[in-house]
Amino acid sequence: MKEFNVVLAGVGGQGTLLAAEILGSAAVEDGLNVRVSEIHGMAQRGGAVTSNVRIGEKVLSPTVMEGRADVLLGFEPLETLRNLKYASEKTTVIVSDEEIPPTELAAKGAAYPSMKDLTAKIRSFAKKVFVVEAERLASEAGNALTSNIVLVGALAAIENMPVKAESLMKSVRELVPARHVDVNVKAFKLGYDYMKKHA
Amino acid sequence: MRSLLPDPHALLEDNPNKRVLLLGNEAIARGILEAGISVVTTYPGTPASEIGDSIAAIAHEAGLYMEYSTNEMVAMEVAGGAANCGVRALTAMKHVGLNVAADMLMTLAYAGVRGGCIIVTADDPECHSSQNEQDNRFYALLSNLPCLEPSDPQEAKEMTISAIEISERLEVPVLLRTTTRVSHTRGPVTYGELTKPNLKGKFVRDVKRLVMVPANSRPKHTVFLKTMEKAKEISESSPYNRVVREGKSREYGLISSSSAYNYAVEAADLLGLDASILKLGMTHPMPEKLIAEFLKKHKKVIVVEELEPYMEMQVKAIAKDYTCKTEVHGKTGKPYFSREGELSTRAVAEGLARITNKKLPIDFASIDKRFTEVVKELPRRPPILCAGCPHRASFYVMRRVGGENAIYPTDIGCYALGIAPPLNIGDIMICMGASLGTAQGISKATNAPTIAVIGDSTFFHAALPGLVNAVYNNSKVTLAVLDNATTAMTGHQPHPGTGLTGMGSPSEKVSIEKVAEGCGVKYVKVVDPFQTKEAEKVLKEALEQPGPSVVVFRAPCVLVSVREMRRKGMKIMPFKITEKCTNCMACIKLLSCPALTVESGKVRISEELCTACGLCIQVCPYKAIEGGSRGH
Repeated sequence: MKEFNVVLAGVGGQGTLLAAEILGSAAVEDGLNVRVSEIHGMAQRGGAVTSNVRIGEKVLSPTVMEGRADVLLGFEPLETLRNLKYASEKTTVIVSDEEIPPTELAAKGAAYPSMKDLTAKIRSFAKKVFVVEAERLASEAGNALTSNIVLVGALAAIENMPVKAESLMKSVRELVPARHVDVNVKAFKLGYDYMKKHA
Repeated sequence: MRSLLPDPHALLEDNPNKRVLLLGNEAIARGILEAGISVVTTYPGTPASEIGDSIAAIAHEAGLYMEYSTNEMVAMEVAGGAANCGVRALTAMKHVGLNVAADMLMTLAYAGVRGGCIIVTADDPECHSSQNEQDNRFYALLSNLPCLEPSDPQEAKEMTISAIEISERLEVPVLLRTTTRVSHTRGPVTYGELTKPNLKGKFVRDVKRLVMVPANSRPKHTVFLKTMEKAKEISESSPYNRVVREGKSREYGLISSSSAYNYAVEAADLLGLDASILKLGMTHPMPEKLIAEFLKKHKKVIVVEELEPYMEMQVKAIAKDYTCKTEVHGKTGKPYFSREGELSTRAVAEGLARITNKKLPIDFASIDKRFTEVVKELPRRPPILCAGCPHRASFYVMRRVGGENAIYPTDIGCYALGIAPPLNIGDIMICMGASLGTAQGISKATNAPTIAVIGDSTFFHAALPGLVNAVYNNSKVTLAVLDNATTAMTGHQPHPGTGLTGMGSPSEKVSIEKVAEGCGVKYVKVVDPFQTKEAEKVLKEALEQPGPSVVVFRAPCVLVSVREMRRKGMKIMPFKITEKCTNCMACIKLLSCPALTVESGKVRISEELCTACGLCIQVCPYKAIEGGSRGH
């Protein structure tokens, strides 16, 4: 592995920061070099948020270059589209089906675009596209707010993932609030199994 | 307060050589513990906040003193005072915070310090969370104080320790300058030894040294300039200023620092460019001889830096002084890199490709073209006020009372998001506290009803002189203080009005209304913004006053109150749309609350987002919203 780049795209409040941190600390656990970049403050209030995780011996820049994402992890369909410039044919796109309509749509009385159209656009950039029912799986785990961990589980299951699934699981245990560990571990496993089955 | 991950207590671990993932700001916090810094002061501001927040969470256990000061000026004064008693001190602020503290900075440079003193300035290229993207390296040049610039979290920790050493050796404060991509990047950091803080300082009276009257300032300026000659020697031999890569051909040399260094190395590798690389970590004073030597070895030197051509101007001057024929490229003359926004590996690679006539291995133009096509019709998603945010209610009230006639100067905080439609509150916003000052100029110049908007933390930070000015000069303005009992935007830090210190001790709550009355404001009222009718009545009255008036809109930040309710086991029952709804869209058009959405042409309330604040039931003309509650 020369380098492994993950772009995490979602909406402020969805837990993209925590997911990125879990990836980063699991990489450190595995003895790898890593950079995680995130944006705080004004950008977080319900707005579009992007985090980057870059793993690899020579990695210095904390941000992923256009066309160089190995994985685009989409926490929300529209936000996945907004970050397609980081994808190429070789990119694996894992996208949650959890739709969060921007207030602009409500103000215009417009509907959220169909998932079919959105995935078609994603496919015009990347070949490997997987839609994960993150919200359903999170509810199955026992808390709809764990959909971010479902996606981390799904990421753990892909073929070329350089970080061990056990290390990711360990980071989940360490970084989620103590009283929510069990439900998050369950969410991770459900995401992992879902991806193994569908990939 | 912001919940930091991992638990900040992990920073206290006495386990040298342990390797952990830390945010750049957390790495500086660890550096504080390893350097034995004993006094830490700050005013929260992105991207600097987590330095103070990490220390706040562990200050008691660490045995050091930490405070959230009322503003950056006071923060630097407290740090400067402590450091002049031989205690090691650090003050952290965002880039524009240093403007507030600049008066102290410029003359503290003359007076100097006895204990090590660090001034952290966290710059924000790209304005991710700021009103401008000024390049604070120029404060190093202006104040003539030494400046260190880390490029990753490990270096951020190391340089915190080095900055204390340099500061104590030279007896002047040292600037530690980060950017968003250093402060908010996580990377592996290896721990070193902890140093026990020492809060037992001693003030030695020395009027010639510390009282900056002209007779003392003049000789101190001479001393300071001599000190900075020593600083130059430190810079020449600093391990942070070094050639990290020797090129084979000697055709090209790159000089870079800070976050830009990361992009420069990766861009050179991407292009397969044979170039030497000089990394500068101490960027004031610049290591003149080292740079001259580097210039002489190469035909073309390219300076890669973010924002202003700060190093490039100096490199060009050095080239002239040392009569080097080397071509120097960057941003001045023919511009190869932008002075705006952040750099990236791509931006640096594109610039280098143009200078060196190399071909980019990635077809960025094609990516851009296809991407533009995909995102053309994508709805935007800017940051917005949270569902249940009391500011939405306050702004609704202001719109109802002030309408289109009133002018609404606003200020720095979450409430700047009020500029979005349909609330449209915010007509001018420049810097902390400026709402009240600009309002007075606007009121005098137009005689229009003027409502200055300010938050509670910002009120204490910068509104007091403006308020006294309004009373003194009898300005007809209304100050609306949106008091949500926290510093919300930067992560819920306490402030003088909260009755809690940075170290979690109870303290006297400074009352906004009493302060206003004390300043001599005749009309001061407190309202609950969610009681819209009553709030409208009061605001209307306030605008009718012949002189200044203050209305405090008081309701806690919804993020804090919901967390509190959940913790207490209180249930939040979201509101529901009943069959009385005619889909007139009044609620959406007036409030634009993220919990209000439209599905198949019908208004719906999101169960996940609704916090049962009850604002929408007050604007619904058909009483078609029911059922929400915040109960036990």
